[in-house]
Amino acid sequence: MTNITPFQLFYRAVQARTYPRIAWMYRHKTWIFQETLLPILSVSALAFVYEWMQAPREYVGMVILGAAMTAFWMNVLWSMGGQLYWERDSGNLELYIMSPAPMMSILTGMALGGMVMTLVRAIAICTAGMVLFDVAFAPSSWWLLALVFALTMSALYGLGAMFSSLFLLWGREAWHTVNLLQEPVYLATGINFPLSALEKITSWIVPGIALLIPLTAGMDAMRQILFEKQEPKFVPFLPLEWEIALLAILSAIFLFFARRTLAMLERKAKEQGTITVKWK
Amino acid sequence: MTLSEPFRTLKWATWLGWQIESNWAQLRLFLLYMVLKPVSGSLMLVMMFYAAKYITNGRVPTEFLPYIYVSSACYGLVGRVMFGLSNVVISDRENYRMLKYIFISPAQFQAYFLGRGVAQAAEGLLGATITISVGLLIPDVRRSVNYEAFDLGWLLVFLTIGSVMLWACGMILASAMLNMSRSGTFLSEGIAGVVYFLSGVVFPITVLPWWLQPVGLSLPTTYWLEGMRRAITGPAPAGSPLAKSPLAAWSNAELAGMLAITTAVLVIVSQLFYRRSLKRAWRRGKIDEATGM
Repeated sequence: MTNITPFQLFYRAVQARTYPRIAWMYRHKTWIFQETLLPILSVSALAFVYEWMQAPREYVGMVILGAAMTAFWMNVLWSMGGQLYWERDSGNLELYIMSPAPMMSILTGMALGGMVMTLVRAIAICTAGMVLFDVAFAPSSWWLLALVFALTMSALYGLGAMFSSLFLLWGREAWHTVNLLQEPVYLATGINFPLSALEKITSWIVPGIALLIPLTAGMDAMRQILFEKQEPKFVPFLPLEWEIALLAILSAIFLFFARRTLAMLERKAKEQGTITVKWK
Repeated sequence: MTLSEPFRTLKWATWLGWQIESNWAQLRLFLLYMVLKPVSGSLMLVMMFYAAKYITNGRVPTEFLPYIYVSSACYGLVGRVMFGLSNVVISDRENYRMLKYIFISPAQFQAYFLGRGVAQAAEGLLGATITISVGLLIPDVRRSVNYEAFDLGWLLVFLTIGSVMLWACGMILASAMLNMSRSGTFLSEGIAGVVYFLSGVVFPITVLPWWLQPVGLSLPTTYWLEGMRRAITGPAPAGSPLAKSPLAAWSNAELAGMLAITTAVLVIVSQLFYRRSLKRAWRRGKIDEATGM
């Protein structure tokens, strides 16, 4: 066996796990239709709701941005959170656990591959929003936007990595938990409307609790950056600096707990030998 | 094969579908799940309504709220059956690895899908009923609903024809899924989104660009949703922007007739597509193919 450093092993495992997700994109030509046209038509329905209600253009922009971010949330839930559970049922999980590659590298590969796939979808949605609905995304700072986006992704995929171990432990409830983390999360995080509207009805309680989900602070921060120059002024839930700090903290917490839960999972798999038992 | 065999398959597939859907948790947790998901989906539209109302200083007509709320609750049933039936193929083929056994068994393959769809529809119907009931707790929805206009007879008519329509829609997606990898689950989500957009679920069909309106009017879901809305909340108030819809002038009988015609066409298409897809999947060995993506 050739000697390779832990870093090389990590890097190769990441590459190997990223590959099938990228390869799928060019092997299955249906993705162009599936990942671009269909989501655009879906998001158009909600954009038309605001047009019908004669809401300002930035509200249509919120729906477009919300749809792009929803794609990442869906990817985190289905392709990260539910993935190890799925891998167990397809027989790959025991191979991952037995292999010398760290589980974190497998999850990093899944996250990177998923992000590339989802980025295509998100870009298609945003481009269609600008062309079809005349939404003007005019960031006050591209650097700030990139920072907020990177922090949101890091926190979201950290959460997804944590979910993947937890969902595996929860067994069949995982499927329903993933289902449950869609509409209620869209409502609580204000994915299609400003959080300030939710605050008017539920006080700070619902949006405050929703801040634990990185989507909430990430979306509100991105809206502040993207719609700052538009009239009427966007009313944020928290100041931008606070939201950036919160996203950084959430990233650190979720990545830390992702490592811990993965280590726990590997230990449990080896000690009890039940983690790879299918269909439970 | 006796006549009772498809019914036996239907019965056991329904039972199996219900067990898969419901026995993963205690009853209380399952009921919470049943309530939270559909209600949150509809409440999101309620929040969009209020957000638009606040920013436009109350210029959004109040009757828009029950329109979007009831439509969204009813549409939950469409999404449930469409997504559910296509997911049956994926989960039975790749998760439980049972699809090939069902295929080679004497059980009627299509009756099996129908049975699984019935379980999904029961869950969807329960979700829609709970969602509409919860909606009545929202003052603006409660005030805008015309209770005297509630028509149980027409509701049952639209539900009956609608259930055939939902089965046909679900079969088309399940048939497509027979030849697709696991990533195809997102196709059903996308198709459900397209139907959501074109059927006037959350806005009247007149809001669509003129060239898309005929597409919307060719879909049975458009007539089904109009019929369901009308049976539950009554016709749009005179003078309201909702009354300008091309379907506003139609009688309930005309709506039901058009729904029946478009559903019949859909059933024929779904059956032809099912036969073609099944033959193709069998020839290409797709019935037991699992995806490692």
